Amino acid sequence: MAEVAKKEGSTSRDTKTVTLTIDGRSVTVPKGTTVLEAALSVGVQIPTFCWHPKLKSIGACRMCYVEIEKMPKLQVSCATEAADGMIVHTDSDLVKRGRRAVLEFILLNHPLDCPTCDKGGDCDLQNLTFAHGYDDSRFDFQKRRFIEDGVESTFDDLRIGPEIILNRNRCIHCYKCVRANKEAFGEYDLGAFERGNVTEINAAPGQQVDNPFSGNLVEICPVGALTNTDWRYKIRVWLTQTVASVCPYTSSGSNILFFKEKHQNRVYRVTGRRNDDIDDGWLPDITRYGYQIIHSEDRLRTPLIKKEGNQETATWDEALAVIEKRLGEIKDKKGCVCIGGLIDPSLDNATLHSFSKLIRRTLGSNNVDFRIDYRMLPKTSSDNYSILTSRPFRIADIDNSDVIITFGSDLLKEHPNEYLRIRKACNFHDSRVFSLNPYAVKSADVAELELVYGIGADEAIIAALCLAGVEEKLVSIPNPDQLKEATGFALMTEAAAVCGVEPDQIKIVARALAKARKVTLIAGELVTRSRDRENIASALCNLNRVFGIEEKGQIAVLSRYANSMGARKLGVLPDPPAVVKSELTKLWGGWPDTEPRNTDSMLVNMKKEEINGLIVMGADPIMLYPDREFACEGLEKLDFLIVCDLFESETTALADVVLPICSWAEYPGEYVNLEGRVQQANQAIKPLYESRPGYEIVELIADRLGQKLFESDEVRRIEIEKLLEVDNGLSWPDSFVNTGWTNEEHDDEFTVPLAVGDDPHHCGHRTEKASSLVNFCGEAYIEISPGLAANYQIEEGDSVRVESPVGKIIVPVRISDFLDNDVVFIPRNFSSTPVTSLLMRKCRVDRVKISKVVS
Amino acid sequence: MGTEKSTGTKVFSLSGHIKRPGNYEVELGFNLKKLIYDPEYGGGILNDKKLKGVIPGGASTPLLTEDMIDVGLDYEALVDAGSMLGSGAVIVFHEETCIVWVMLKLIHFFRHESCGKCTPCRQGTAWLEQLIHRIEQGNGKPGDIEKIDDICGNILGRTICPLGDAAVMPIQSAIKLYRDEWDYHIVHKKCLVKSDFAF
Ligand code: SF4
Ligand code: FES
Repeated sequence: MAEVAKKEGSTSRDTKTVTLTIDGRSVTVPKGTTVLEAALSVGVQIPTFCWHPKLKSIGACRMCYVEIEKMPKLQVSCATEAADGMIVHTDSDLVKRGRRAVLEFILLNHPLDCPTCDKGGDCDLQNLTFAHGYDDSRFDFQKRRFIEDGVESTFDDLRIGPEIILNRNRCIHCYKCVRANKEAFGEYDLGAFERGNVTEINAAPGQQVDNPFSGNLVEICPVGALTNTDWRYKIRVWLTQTVASVCPYTSSGSNILFFKEKHQNRVYRVTGRRNDDIDDGWLPDITRYGYQIIHSEDRLRTPLIKKEGNQETATWDEALAVIEKRLGEIKDKKGCVCIGGLIDPSLDNATLHSFSKLIRRTLGSNNVDFRIDYRMLPKTSSDNYSILTSRPFRIADIDNSDVIITFGSDLLKEHPNEYLRIRKACNFHDSRVFSLNPYAVKSADVAELELVYGIGADEAIIAALCLAGVEEKLVSIPNPDQLKEATGFALMTEAAAVCGVEPDQIKIVARALAKARKVTLIAGELVTRSRDRENIASALCNLNRVFGIEEKGQIAVLSRYANSMGARKLGVLPDPPAVVKSELTKLWGGWPDTEPRNTDSMLVNMKKEEINGLIVMGADPIMLYPDREFACEGLEKLDFLIVCDLFESETTALADVVLPICSWAEYPGEYVNLEGRVQQANQAIKPLYESRPGYEIVELIADRLGQKLFESDEVRRIEIEKLLEVDNGLSWPDSFVNTGWTNEEHDDEFTVPLAVGDDPHHCGHRTEKASSLVNFCGEAYIEISPGLAANYQIEEGDSVRVESPVGKIIVPVRISDFLDNDVVFIPRNFSSTPVTSLLMRKCRVDRVKISKVVS
Repeated sequence: MGTEKSTGTKVFSLSGHIKRPGNYEVELGFNLKKLIYDPEYGGGILNDKKLKGVIPGGASTPLLTEDMIDVGLDYEALVDAGSMLGSGAVIVFHEETCIVWVMLKLIHFFRHESCGKCTPCRQGTAWLEQLIHRIEQGNGKPGDIEKIDDICGNILGRTICPLGDAAVMPIQSAIKLYRDEWDYHIVHKKCLVKSDFAF
């Protein structure tokens, strides 16, 4: 039988089944399933090296032999499609001999340096040799050794990337690393070179293996050929135990395992805990290495109290006494509306909910928000933008969408798991991907068509799509004139001209949308971060209406942080949607009668000295708020600032009281991912130093202010449960919405549009403390297109001064492989180069000027 | 033209210790002995030495000894004779050729040709070359021949593509047909035949 390329099993669109017999048991599986998967599905284990559940089978290692009656030769089960009536034996003498021979072959040149190999105890080759191999070797030649710099050694340690170390001698040529890199991540920085028994895995010439998913290569290597500095030589795996948790950096909530030492209070590594609904077992490097912040030397160890301008170490009691006194003063003198609260949306439900109750019930105001890095927030939470954040969305449904559109999103940086899903949809299901962005992004590498539209013309491109649908008669809508009026464009070509995109290209996307069987449309941070997010969201509502996207799929602005969805559902917003508000009112027996104040208006009121006290939980507004000057001015005017964080930051530097909080590994917590799925992060270690979980701190503060927030933990749990049960999905507008697009005038001096976001190896303001992630990228840079670089006569590595009307920074240049217009990108993750100092909250598009620094 | 089952003609490339090496297009079923000895074709063995063996279908096919060459060059007849028609590259070698040496040349080729994707071929061809090389050099150890035969069995039918089969089939047949030469090499650490020139 011919070996077949395996189709990704879990999402096969085929509904036919086949029935076969494996080791005497009858097994029925969907057509297209391999014999191996059929066996696994009934718990029959077949040893493998090169098979991976999420990659196409190549049948290379030959470890998975089975005997199939009527077939004279052994068959590799990972590459043989199960067929009706097959009689399969997985453990016959012939199979056993076959496996033994394969193990003998693999071990010929394997160094067997297990005692000094980091993979010892955790190694597929070790395990399978013990289970199926010879205990002796018939090989009496010298083993093949790779020679580097004239030195031949068993310890062939080559550093092939910031984290990864390669030992070619140990490699058993399963090619999983190269295949995962290519198939799952679309990366080509690692390859197989030469051939035959001198085949070697190595970094591509002149390159480093530094892609944002590279940590997975180490995890899937079945032997110790690929190891990383994170874990290597620190501990033996059998001295550790695993604790299931979730990732606090991705809003999909990648499922992870902590490996902690049994007796020490320390986490040694993070690996994937495959969840096919979310992550397929792949972890982005931010998830894998981001745990290192837990044990960073820079952790805040004790509370700090500001005394005569200096922050001094204090006990919890002292710190809480100060809080009691000072907050009490503000409360008594000025009233509760003069106190506000900002909280990081990657914290767990208990912390978010307690925090919101502290502000609303104990302090009695609506000054609470979790949206810290967005400008010009809406006053209400029932706008069109909120609709798009509240509609049902399932990550796994990306797989079987035949048309996928990403809009205003550098997905790889914002939503790495969803980016991989889209790759998978392309690779395994031939989905068509379209990417619509104001500048070219790496994430668009899977796209059939990438439409790069003029920056700031987001509404126009969506309008063009809507109009194309109507003009090309792809859809029929009852009132096309209303659509024209709502979009402000009479013709598709007008809208296309505004966004600078060829009408033909717009028609291609419109046609795909109209014809699609199932659509996924993901809108990203460009929408959320925009001053005019409501306009853009309205445009998307119109698009949904024209093409009926949700009826045949899903359309959403994905939430960005690990628990943004939780924060929304729990109503940690100044003015939560009516259903949430009424549930909260019911639970708490009341609702503060004060004006809702979001982050923006809190900052405005701080400046006006109408908010005098602020509690910041886990966030660093100075670093993240998209107008640094504005944020600083507000915070500096405060009479009393409490900041709870893991690390010192610019915000803690202003604080009167600093309280150390626990990381997510130090207490059990629940997180709601972007789909609304509630996931549990178990406690891996005890709280480090004197830190405490966020919710505990909040409750201590409430206690001091004279209110017990919850009668018991159980009461808190039930409150949260009730809120999570509330369906907070808002319904679509019932007609077309005006989007009112106007072109923004800009200064002639500042002409270069600036995009700000995360580096692919960082998330927000904390990952700077993870040394592995710093190894990938440790400082800010400006990414510019080759054309723009030529204009300014700047080269890779040059320093440039980047100025905006409000600030300037100096950063090194990276010439981008994909940017092709005037937009430049600067990451926001590095506290030494705060890019937010260039931003102005009232701008639609931030613009800068660039000049070369001559040394 | 040809035989009942193998119809048509085929070009045979005659090479090795042959007087008239070259390409001959003949009907399938054409007698191999005739191809080698007929003055119109091969014209006999170089220097009129005695024929030792023939690889009838390219480097990957089992060998035929002198007494087996009265056979038709077609698919069925060659399979019956224990070999294959293969590519039609007929390699002839005479009595003064060491079979171990021939096999070393062949496995060297296959080892070099192996792509490295699947384990048995990638590792097995290299191991076989190491073993045959040491026998050829007079360093063979008792048990090596059995080991070679066993390794061949672990490659045959176990690889993704037919290169693995191709590499081991001539070796297996060379051991079966010329076992005494292999044994001699191990015991006496040199060739049984006077073998002082190459192809
Ligand atoms: S380095 Fe590891 S994963 Fe890659 S081919 Fe070798 S053994 Fe397989
Ligand atoms: S697991 Fe099937 S050949 Fe490697």
